[in-house]
Amino acid sequence: MKILVCIKQVVDPEKVEYNVQTKTIKRNAQHLMNNPADLSALEFALRIKDVNKDVHITTLSMGPVECESKIKELIEVGCDSCVLLSDKRLAGSDAYSTAYALAKAIENLGNYDLILCGESSLDGETSIVPPQIAEYLNIPHISFATNIKVFDLQHVEIERKFKNQLFKLKVELPALVSVKKDSVFLRLPKLSLMIKALSYTPQIISLDDLENFDFSKVGAEGSKTSVNRFVEQSFEDVKCEIYEDIEDAQIECIANLVMRFL
Amino acid sequence: MEYFLSEEQKIIKSLAKRISDEYVSKVAIKYDKEGIFPRDILDLLAYTELTGVYIPKEYGGFGGGVMEMCLVVEELSRNCAGVAVSYAATALGAYPIILYGKEEQKKKYLPKIAKGELIAAFALTEADAGSDVSSIKTTAEKKGDYYILNGSKHWITNGGEADVYVVFAVTDKSKGPRGISAFIVEKGYEGFYCGKKEDKMGIRSSSTTELIFEDCKVPKENLLGREGTGFIIAMKTFDRTRPGVAAMAVGIAQGAYEHAIRYAKERVQFGQPLSSFQAIQHMLADMYINIEAARSLLYSTCRMIDSGAKDFSKESSACKVFASDVAMKVTTDAVQIMGGNGYVKDYPVEKMMRDAKVTQIFEGANQIQRNIIASEIIKEY
Ligand SMILES: Cc1cc2nc3c(=O)[nH]c(=O)nc-3n(C[C@H](O)[C@H](O)[C@H](O)COP(=O)(O)OP(=O)(O)OC[C@H]3O[C@@H](n4cnc5c(N)ncnc54)[C@H](O)[C@@H]3O)c2cc1C
Repeated sequence: MKILVCIKQVVDPEKVEYNVQTKTIKRNAQHLMNNPADLSALEFALRIKDVNKDVHITTLSMGPVECESKIKELIEVGCDSCVLLSDKRLAGSDAYSTAYALAKAIENLGNYDLILCGESSLDGETSIVPPQIAEYLNIPHISFATNIKVFDLQHVEIERKFKNQLFKLKVELPALVSVKKDSVFLRLPKLSLMIKALSYTPQIISLDDLENFDFSKVGAEGSKTSVNRFVEQSFEDVKCEIYEDIEDAQIECIANLVMRFL
Repeated sequence: MEYFLSEEQKIIKSLAKRISDEYVSKVAIKYDKEGIFPRDILDLLAYTELTGVYIPKEYGGFGGGVMEMCLVVEELSRNCAGVAVSYAATALGAYPIILYGKEEQKKKYLPKIAKGELIAAFALTEADAGSDVSSIKTTAEKKGDYYILNGSKHWITNGGEADVYVVFAVTDKSKGPRGISAFIVEKGYEGFYCGKKEDKMGIRSSSTTELIFEDCKVPKENLLGREGTGFIIAMKTFDRTRPGVAAMAVGIAQGAYEHAIRYAKERVQFGQPLSSFQAIQHMLADMYINIEAARSLLYSTCRMIDSGAKDFSKESSACKVFASDVAMKVTTDAVQIMGGNGYVKDYPVEKMMRDAKVTQIFEGANQIQRNIIASEIIKEY
């Protein structure tokens, strides 16, 4: 069974630096981390591998070559291979362009039984990349999974919590599942795998390696959305207001808060 | 300071640090208070393969040496020496097998110890034989295919929790230290019981118990080395494991120092942080100097041992004595810097000071270590 996990390298919110003029976030290697929701997806893949020995896990990332150092961490927990799609022409891609590029990369990499993604990335929070990849690939898609198990070689069982209700779904493979963040935490690395990762280099591919690629669909030009405004949010002046058992005051307080962020 | 560890050693240290900071730190105070054996942490060390760092590759380990073992112990001790000693005591039990085990014994026990499936222990001390190791009274009498062990052991780390015990007993009373032999005793052997559990000052999450042998039947193939070599086995093992105690001491000191600095920067008195007072600055500087000196001596000793040197008793003793004295001094000063908050159980330095004390006592009290060093250096000149 072949599982592909899409893992984005995002800027650690605690170390983030941005350029207000160009409306971009600075991405240097020391500030990157693997997107937490994607790591939940990876943990499910590893759990499937724990009980099915012939599972092969590949990760796919899209981003600058600086991401390589973080991708090594995926080998340390037990991924079999890692691919990085890196191309300057992808810079400025929005969710739509990203989904297109990833879908094309997946098509070119070969047939996958199961594709896993995190529900959203820390920096984008759109949650639309996974369903769009599935649309491009024309395979079923289930979002916000809280548990995934292999049912048989043709199906996986998925649990999904929505409005406090638990849904159990069975989906035929190939399929794409996006995983709710914090639904599970990534395991610790193993010493032998960390040593293996020392000399591991991910397979780096560029857009030129992808067949039938429509360059007009990616980059800032090919994107459907663009960054309009960049607002610096300062938390220093946020005051803590405590209301106790005063319903109207609480409602007013919440209304004020909502207004402030609109 | 840059210690020029190899890439692999850096990985071991960073992995141990991660487990220590993310997991050990969360349970240290609770396990200490309630005396909970840290089996869950040992399981994590097993999963990450840190249980096998000092076991030879051919027996399923990583193939490192004393240095690798010490790096793990040091990092665990930064947050809880009780957890660290539960890990280190397995090394103390495994080393006699690594050094003197017959091929079948090594094959039987070492791979499982490396994987963390077996916890080990080392049982030498008795009620009347502490510093004076050679006066142990537990006997082992050969009867057919078995040795019959009778007697009891005191202060045995991992007692009751371990699966395999290296036990020292007298096979020939007339020969003094040359009449002591070492045996591998498994949990569950007939006539082998675990006695009283000690209520200790520090390292409270580790288990320290009595062991009782009443006509305990140990198969003759479980004799380690030859009959009469037990004393040498114990001493050669200690030469390799005393740095482990030094590593524990360095880790405890490092942990206390880190807490003290953070506290001194935050706590304001007389309108300024404690860290702005020169009296406090000098204490912090001395902590730094002493810890770096202890770590330098420890790592140099580990490198000497792992390079295949033949005789390193005095170096091994020196790093144990120095580091444990540093740990006692640094933790005491850390408590001082934190004032009342240093003296209560809400902050970890109170525990660290209690934990530090035992590093001056076990695996040979520091007075005994000085005896070893003195006898060696006097011989040399
Ligand atoms: C928490 C803990 C865990 C332990 N774990 C183990 C274990 O796993 N396995 C094991 O076999 N043992 C273990 N021990 C035993 C430990 O090694 C002994 O406690 C230690 O060797 C000291 O022996 P003693 O306690 O009998 O002290 P004693 O021998 O009675 O000595 C008391 C003090 O007298 C002084 N002294 C003694 N002899 C001399 C001398 N010749 N010259 C100068 N001063 C001297 C020293 O200051 C010494 O500290 C453990 C002990 C503790 C406290």
